[in-house]
Amino acid sequence: MDNFFQSYGFLLVTMVQAALLGLSLYFPLQAGQLSLASPGFYALGGYVAAIMLTNPAFGGLRDALGNSVFPLTWLVAAVLSGLLGLVVGVPALRLRGIYLALATIAFVEILRVVSLNLSITGGAIGIFGIPQAFGFQDRWQYLFLFGPLLILTLIFAAQLERSRVGRAFRAVREDELAADAMGVSPTRYKVQAFVIGAVLAGIVGAMSAPFLNTWNAKQGTFDASIAILAFVLIGGSRNIWGPVVGGALLTAIPEVLRPLADWRLVINGLVLVLASLYLPQGIVGTLSRGGKPPKRPDPAPAGPNTEKISSSHNSNTAENRP
Amino acid sequence: MELSGLVQNLMNGLAIGSVYAIFALGYTLVFSILGIINFAHGAVFTLGAYFTYTLVAGQFENNGLLKGINLFPAGSPLSGSPWVFAAATLLGAVGAGLISVLIERLAFRPMRARGADPLLALVSSLGVALVIVNLIQLLVGAEIYNFPSNAYGELRPALSFAIGDKIVVIRTVQVIIFGVSLAILAVLGYVIGRTKIGKALRAVAENPTTASLLGISVDRFIVITFFLSGFLGGLAGTLVGTAFGVAGPYFGVTYGLKGLAVIVLGGLGSIPGAVLGGLVIGLAEAFVPSDYSAYKDAVAFALLFVILLVRPQGLLGQNAAQKV
Repeated sequence: MDNFFQSYGFLLVTMVQAALLGLSLYFPLQAGQLSLASPGFYALGGYVAAIMLTNPAFGGLRDALGNSVFPLTWLVAAVLSGLLGLVVGVPALRLRGIYLALATIAFVEILRVVSLNLSITGGAIGIFGIPQAFGFQDRWQYLFLFGPLLILTLIFAAQLERSRVGRAFRAVREDELAADAMGVSPTRYKVQAFVIGAVLAGIVGAMSAPFLNTWNAKQGTFDASIAILAFVLIGGSRNIWGPVVGGALLTAIPEVLRPLADWRLVINGLVLVLASLYLPQGIVGTLSRGGKPPKRPDPAPAGPNTEKISSSHNSNTAENRP
Repeated sequence: MELSGLVQNLMNGLAIGSVYAIFALGYTLVFSILGIINFAHGAVFTLGAYFTYTLVAGQFENNGLLKGINLFPAGSPLSGSPWVFAAATLLGAVGAGLISVLIERLAFRPMRARGADPLLALVSSLGVALVIVNLIQLLVGAEIYNFPSNAYGELRPALSFAIGDKIVVIRTVQVIIFGVSLAILAVLGYVIGRTKIGKALRAVAENPTTASLLGISVDRFIVITFFLSGFLGGLAGTLVGTAFGVAGPYFGVTYGLKGLAVIVLGGLGSIPGAVLGGLVIGLAEAFVPSDYSAYKDAVAFALLFVILLVRPQGLLGQNAAQKV
């Protein structure tokens, strides 16, 4: 068993981490918001932890706190990500569909370029020599951090779905105008969903910095946005297990294909194309329906943003006028 | 800023901005017809540059499966003439256009047939981009390939003139890029605005269902759109490659993202908007003070973010993003 963890520990942790990042995109999607901002908050959280754990300015704090400094980095990362999420979210969430997606891509890119040029983030080289959390000897031990976080997040997500707030999220997703008319404030719930996702991505980042030992601007890029979106869409965007299955699977595929060496990224691309063609409901969505047609008679059976995005190019219909 | 610096920045900005414009036109054409963003457009841009390189140089370095192949041994008549280079550029762009049609066939058409979520089309086009970029890497490696230095033959020397006591240098490449882009925009403007094909294209963009009821073959025009889109993307790739060298398989990624900023700035789906957006972002980047040049790549995204907050429909767009 020890051997198993030695060989596959890194991969397992990465799979759980991917599932968590998938969930961080899933929360805003619950409120109908296609946000690709997760890598930005993930990178921010990682930088917070990396700076607190290596920067000489925090030396006194580290000496005083010992191992408690690690939970403190998670907390600080969560708070800062949440605040930044609030600052970005309040104006950005006036946008919908593809426009919000593009705005969040811009947000991630701006953060990336800024972190590439600040001295506190180590510029292009980044920050390295980040100490292992709680003096872990092996990478697989990070399962003790990411595992419970995943379980807590899943419990939280399941509770949320049953709660008033979760129902409000769905109401906003299905029909914002109707929700607004019923007294459910779309802005408030959209910002809430966005901030929940931001906080989660921030904490994952703070846990990942010691795990990866080094942190640089490559951690939060457009590629990551897309990878995370793929986790959710391929896994299934309507069920909390979707992002988990998608994240774990899509992270494992390139590793499993390692014998194919150079071809594995090509195959990974093909998997994305084929999965979006043949599993439009996502893996979990397809399995849980057992092949039955979707419940709602929808001309375009699909995810949350179908109608909204596809109507975007009918520029001259009356209701689309400003 | 001194006059000479102003003129220099203006020239640099117009050259790069006009490339952004024709690249972004490819995005916006597809968006106006299908209402989706083709994330493989950046990969098509890269492909165009590699196609042209293959035609004029035909020599691959030490990595990748095609290593050491030399299509045109030294002294071949195929290099050294600007006309040959122009022909190769055109063929490269046609090749990129054909690949783009293939992408439509494999990644978009089956989705349309199923009425799938446009978000999935996005993931699918990203999958295609991943395939293309990694195939390039596999075949010819990750090296920087430079077009032969005699690509423009006798046109090579740069133009320069003095303003006051400062000398403004305008590279021949910049003039060519600007000229070619203007010509392309004029032709495209004519085709879309004045010809029957253009009229049909606009009808499909406006409302595919009605257009098909009026006897327009929607699928055929989608193919035409993708060909045009890929042609423009591939041409932009070669033009940028001519100016800076083709920097590896990931060459197009930044342009792919900046192209998004360009079309949103101008107004998604708007053709004049793409041109205006390209020029605005090209000029804005050129005028970034050299002390802050590290932040140059953030300019496009900062503009994108601001425009989305202030005027989500873009500078020339008409439909409100609020309802999207």
